[in-house]
Amino acid sequence: MTDRCPNAFEETQISGHLDGELTQAAEQKVRIHLEDCGHCRALLDELRTMREATMTTEFSKPDDSQWDERPRGGASLLARGAGWIFAVVWAVAIAVYALWQFWQGSANLVERLLVFGGLSAVALLFVSVLLDRLSSARTDPYREVEK
Amino acid sequence: MTEHRPAPAPVAALPPSEAQTVILAQQGAEDALDELARSCRQQAYVFALQLTGHPDDALDVAQDAMVRFFRSLSRFDPSRPVRPWLLRIVRNLVRDRARRMRVRRTESLEPADDALRFEPKDPTPDPEAQTARRELQTLLWSCLRELPPRYREVLVLRDYQDLAYAEIASTLKIPRGTVMSRLHRARRLLRDVVRRRQHNTGEVRDD
Repeated sequence: MTDRCPNAFEETQISGHLDGELTQAAEQKVRIHLEDCGHCRALLDELRTMREATMTTEFSKPDDSQWDERPRGGASLLARGAGWIFAVVWAVAIAVYALWQFWQGSANLVERLLVFGGLSAVALLFVSVLLDRLSSARTDPYREVEK
Repeated sequence: MTEHRPAPAPVAALPPSEAQTVILAQQGAEDALDELARSCRQQAYVFALQLTGHPDDALDVAQDAMVRFFRSLSRFDPSRPVRPWLLRIVRNLVRDRARRMRVRRTESLEPADDALRFEPKDPTPDPEAQTARRELQTLLWSCLRELPPRYREVLVLRDYQDLAYAEIASTLKIPRGTVMSRLHRARRLLRDVVRRRQHNTGEVRDD
């Protein structure tokens, strides 16, 4: 036994009718068809029962305590950004000064090369991670999220 | 003697419209930002729960969605409704997460039973009818997982979220006609899954 309308009626209109989303002309057409088609009437009844059940379904929601704090506003973000910039500039200045002092100090050439080699490796790792992050930020699929 | 007239009752402040709230939030007003957070996060959570079926996943997705929501709030056009935009963010995050989980996930994808809340929204006074309704709600919730994501999305947006076709079209970025045909297909698929489950468990249909 087929599960389709025996009169080959465009069944998607049944959903449009159920949701009240049809034009007046289409609505009229569906009503006329439903008067004569037991198959589509039965389908409509089934879909209506299902829709009434889904529309009255309630879902549990988390307490307020389970939510992270909302991201702060523009002024806060600006202050945080400026703070990070100052902190990075300060750290770089201190590091350069310390390295300069170390280079000028009493360490022999091998000790100097070991320290600078290790620091260069750390710096290269940091730069590679930074480049990855920048690259993923550029290809973020939500960068131009629907406005 | 002077007649003491009662002081006029303070006029209750009307709640600002959504557009006004968005504009104030874009200007950095903390009250408006808090109000948006309160109203949007539960919507984001419920929609994420309906798509994922798991409260923990839904909470993670909703938290991420709120971060993205506030990050792009300054670019949002306040003359447009917030809900389709918010739901679109959630839907994109759920898809993204599903893509990652497809590789890593090993546990069951059965929906959580405790996600539903059977409380007063259902006005049916007849206890038997109420029980039948609850059973059907639970069955539908369980069967929803068997639908492919594209059908589940459209069905959830219409039948759980109560969005109009135009709003669904805006959320999913598909034509309105496609919304109707996909929705109908989704409903038929869901009905088939329900029938199959009822047949397998030997339940008798009322209709």
